[in-house]
Formats: sequence, structure tokens, C-alpha cells
Amino acid sequence: MNKKPGILFYVFLAVFVFVVMFPFLWILLASIKPATELFGEKAFTPLTDNPTFKNYISVFVDYPFLTYLKNSFIVSISTTLYTVFVASFAAYAIARLQFKGKTVILGLVLSVTMFPQIATISPIYIILKNLGLTNSYLGLIIPYTTIALPLSIWLLVTFFRKIPFELEEAARMDGATIMQTFWRVIFPLAAPGLFTTAILVFIAAWNEFLFALTINTDVAYKTVPVGIALFQGQFTIPWGEISAATVVVTVPLVILVLLFQRRIVSGLTSGSVKE
Amino acid sequence: METKTSTSAHVPKDTKRKKKKNPERLMAYSLIAPSLILILAIAIWPVLQSFYFSMFDLKLSDPSKSETHLGYEIDLSRYLDNYPFLISGIDSEIKENPQPELTAIKEDLESLDKQLQDNPKVKENYDLVNDKLLNFEKVDEGTAVVEIDKKLALEISSKAQEAEATLKDLELKDEKKITGLADGLKDVIRQPNFIGFKHYSDQLTDARMWKALSNTLVFTVLSVGFELVIGLAIALLINKAFFGRGLIRATILIPWAIPTAVSALMWKFLYDGQNGVIAKMFEEVGIVNKMAYLLTTDTGAMFSVIFTDVWKTTPYMALLLLAGLQTIPGSLYEAASIDGASKWKQFTRITLPLLKSSLLVALLFRTLDAFRVFDLIFVLTGGGPANSTETISLLAYKYMFNQQNFGTGSALSVIVFICVAIISMIFIRFLGRDLLNDGPGK
Repeated sequence: MNKKPGILFYVFLAVFVFVVMFPFLWILLASIKPATELFGEKAFTPLTDNPTFKNYISVFVDYPFLTYLKNSFIVSISTTLYTVFVASFAAYAIARLQFKGKTVILGLVLSVTMFPQIATISPIYIILKNLGLTNSYLGLIIPYTTIALPLSIWLLVTFFRKIPFELEEAARMDGATIMQTFWRVIFPLAAPGLFTTAILVFIAAWNEFLFALTINTDVAYKTVPVGIALFQGQFTIPWGEISAATVVVTVPLVILVLLFQRRIVSGLTSGSVKE
Repeated sequence: METKTSTSAHVPKDTKRKKKKNPERLMAYSLIAPSLILILAIAIWPVLQSFYFSMFDLKLSDPSKSETHLGYEIDLSRYLDNYPFLISGIDSEIKENPQPELTAIKEDLESLDKQLQDNPKVKENYDLVNDKLLNFEKVDEGTAVVEIDKKLALEISSKAQEAEATLKDLELKDEKKITGLADGLKDVIRQPNFIGFKHYSDQLTDARMWKALSNTLVFTVLSVGFELVIGLAIALLINKAFFGRGLIRATILIPWAIPTAVSALMWKFLYDGQNGVIAKMFEEVGIVNKMAYLLTTDTGAMFSVIFTDVWKTTPYMALLLLAGLQTIPGSLYEAASIDGASKWKQFTRITLPLLKSSLLVALLFRTLDAFRVFDLIFVLTGGGPANSTETISLLAYKYMFNQQNFGTGSALSVIVFICVAIISMIFIRFLGRDLLNDGPGK
């Protein structure tokens, strides 16, 4: 099985990478085309002789794109920090302490990750509306708990379980309390796991669409996915600007993925693979 | 609570152990409490509430149906905006032109008003609302709407209706104003909007719901099926040590990491009937007869949606399966090939059985994701053309947020929830306890 891969294998890889990346490449090329070349006969020529940054400028000048970016950052980062903080306690207890009803709680957490968002949205929307929290950051941070908290608990439990038990026992022998052990021993050891969880929660919150679409309808509080999706007007679709905006959103995520691919992969697969 | 009952329930034999365990248990519960409370408040309660909403005729656009109420209620602010003016209007009509019908109406209404004020709870709010109205202050819903008993409520609405009909037949000086007031009086009573399982029976007999459900199933089965087969093939191929692994991994993650709504919009451009490069390619290859067919015909649109989903999540599926493959020890394959097993036999006898739990977990999560699909379809086709790609989540969204019909929308979302629960139960039966294996890490 572990034979040295041949030339054919690398050809296959190249084709695979090209197929996966083609839409992005095309959008990248389209984003620097002048508007006239997005339509008509030049629409299918990949390269343009007159590259322009007009689309990029237009995205920031003619659309409140910077506001969308700011909103997405605020909401995603707040959600990430608070859920990972709350989840780390619960995950520690589930992974390390003995108590009744553990399987039930873990099962509950798992089943909540499976909940369809559409099934929670009507009460959440009505409550937020009555509290006057629609069109606010809190209006998204609160419902994002549904997605982020079970995900964090589930991931952190698997990470905490991988930490050798002996270290903790030694600390307990030396008379440390549970909280001391948690902060002094477990927390530093779990830092990579916490970080991985934070990346995944951040991406999940950044990408969320349904809550963002329904709860924050005011332009000043829209997030990036909703903002971009609603770029399209009633009759015309500004493809040049959409391409540029897509590139602007994609680039930071690509960098994030390149930097942390190992961690992201370990996070994604930790829940599904039994060693 | 639980600790107390459990310790007192069975007398501990080993007191030493108990002393050590008890604080740990308490600590565990207090560490879990915040998360559990949040999950209950933000996920479990809303689902139950959705179920509750689904049994009401709840329409945010209609003030008399914008809340759930089980009993009959009277809106005192409306009532007091009508009743006194109606009475004084009738009075002045009587002065002008005494008619027996007018006196009868007046007496009826006054007796009903007296009955209303006999109820101490109503009386209290009655005066409060009256004062506020006289001072032109805003009256809040909570004090204005009071529950009254069914008999009185029905009597008020029937008398109001009767009064309006009679007044219309009479020769009145100020007919418009008086009939208008009588008409307004009809609306002061709020009937309970509890309708039980009517939304469900309506939806279950509605062709549009079944179409949406079958669209969802077609989408789920086809896209997850393709993702599984292609993903497994890719995982098997790249399950070797090769140069450039990191690059492949990053490539795989990018489509997964981009917001679905953004990639859906990107694909909308690529599928465009005039300028879309993918549409052009499909036409050249012969997948579609005409570029424009992709997003304007029903099979074309369904194909486009599935193709995009496969593009977006096959690499992710491959990644999950690859992780599973890498836990299978290579020695198994060596032993098998020494025994002369063919590649295919190795695949069916070693790879598949050992990959089973990774495969099922990946399938479970992908199936549920596909079944709940919303943003991809909302952006790419909006459910069209002619509802041919409308999924059940999208249909629920349309009822709730385009028509403000939260009752029907909630019923549909409960249907989605039940389907998701059934799908998970089927998978979990196959997975068994693998998924919830708890015990401290080995």
C-alpha cells in the first residue's frame, strides 16, 4: 500500500487540485476584468489585457462591505471566545470527572449538534424581537451558541481525553484542588486543543447564514455571507463586484487554512475517528 | 439535586470512597451547569417552543394572531376606544330620533359592560387603561389584553355583530361614524388561536410540502451518494506518503472553509446562462443542450445544486475517510498480500470493515447537513425555477419570514426536526455505542 507514488499519481493530484481550485481561479481572474469583458465574447477568455482594480475599489466604496467585515469579526470572535471558555469547563468535567448521567449529557450535546437550525429559529426570532435584540451583535452571538457550544464541548472532550491521566493524578496527590489542577496542569496542556476548537468555532460562526439573514436585517449589522448574497439586485447582478468581494473574503480564510491546516484537520477528524 | 438523591438512595458501604467522590461530583455538576443551562435555553427550549407554536394560528402580520393565546381575551384599549363613543353616539341619535332598536342596543351593550366590570381583574385594568387613554398615553399590550370567560366573550362579539347589522338598517344621522364604531367593537375580542394539529394535517395534504420533501430527499441521497463514492476513491488514492501532502490538505479545506453562501454565489456566476464558464463547458461536453438550461429548467437546477454541493464537500468527505484509513495498520495488508489476497479482497475484507465507524460518522453528519440544506439553495436558485429545488427548510423559511406565518413555518420546521431525528436514529443503531464511548482516554 505504501509504494512510492508514480508519475501518474502526481498527474492525478494536479488534476484534482485544479478541479477543486478552478472556481476560485476563475473568480480571481474575473475580479480584475473590466466590466465589459465579463459579458459577451470575452466572457470565456481567462486572461484580460486590461486588468483593473476598479471592482475592488467599488466593493469598499459603493457597498458597506467594510461594515459587513467588521460585523462578522465582532460576532465571530465574541462567539468563539465565550463558547470555548464555557465549554472548556463542561468538557473537562465530562472527560475527567466521575458523575452520574455523563453519557446522557454527552448524548444530549451530540444530538444538539444535529438539530436543524430552522427548528429553533421561530422562537429565537420572536424572543430576540421582543427583547429588542434584532439588529444587534448580541442578537447573533446568543443564537450562535446553538451551533458553537455543542461543537466546542464535543471537540474539547476528545482533546482532553488525550492528555495523560498520570499528570493530573500527580497534581492531585500533591494536594491540588480540582480547579488548581484544571488551571495549572490541564489548561496549558490542552492549549493546542483549545486553539483548534477556537479556529473551527470561528469558521462555523463566520459562515453561518440562516440566523444572520433573519435576525440582522439592517445594513449596519449584516454579516459578510449575508451581505455578499444580497449584493445581487432585483434585475442586475454586479458580477465584477461580487467576484472582488468573494476574493476579499476567501483570501483570509485561505491564509487561515494554510497556516493551521494540521490543526483544522485534527479537529475535524477527532470526533469521527476512533483510534 | 441529583447528587443528594443518589447519595441518600443507597447507603454507601465504603465511606472513605464516598468522601472523596462527593466533592468531585458536585464540582463536575457545577462545571457542567453553565453549558447545560445555555444548551437548554438556546437549543432545547426553542425546539419545544417551535412545537408549541406549530399548534397555533400564529401570524406576526396580523395583530390579533401575533401571539399564542389559549383562552378568550378582550383588548381593553380597543374596547375603550370604541364602547364609550358608540354609547354617546347612540345617545345623541336617540335624542334626535328615538327608535326602540336603538334603546335595545344601548341597553344590551351597557349590560355587557357592567358584566365586564363585575370581574375584579378586568375592572382593575379597565380603569387603568381608561385613565391612560384619557391622558393620551400609550397603553402596553400586557395591561390592555385581559382574559375573560368564553361565554361573555362570545356574547360580546355576537352582540357587537348584531348591533352593527341593526344599525346599518336604521335611518341614522351619523350613520358612518356609528356603524364604524360598532364594527370596531367586533374586533375587541380575541379568540384563542389554538388549532391543534391542523397545520400538520394541512401540510401533510399539501402537494407543495411533499414536493419540497422529495426535493430534499433527492438532493440528500444524490449528493451524499456521490460524495461518498468519489470521496472514498480520493481518500484511497492519497493514502500514501507523498510529496506535497500539506498542499493537498489545504486545497481540500478551502472549499469547506468558504461560507456556503459565498460559494453558492460564485457558482451562480459560473452557471450563468450567458457568461458562465462552467455552463459553457457543460454545453461543449454535452451535459446540457443549452447553457441557459442549467438554472432555468428543473432538472438543470437540481443538477447544478447537487454538483455544487458535491464540489464543496467531497474533499471534506475524503479528508474524514483518509483519517480513518490512516488508523488501519499497514501490517494487515502485508499479511493479506502474503496470503495472496487480491487488492479488491483486501479492500472488502480489511478496509471496509475497519473503516466502518469513520464511514458511518462521516455519512451521518453529511446526510444531516444535506437534509438541512438552506443557504446553498437560497442563494443559488432561491428554490426555483417553479419550486423545483425548494427544500423543506427553505419552504419553512418562506412561510416564516416572507409571509410572517410562524404557525405553518413552525409546523414545517418540526417536520424537518422529526426527519433529522429519524435519520440520526437509523445511523446510531448502526454505530451503536461507538459514538458515545465515554471512559477516560486510553
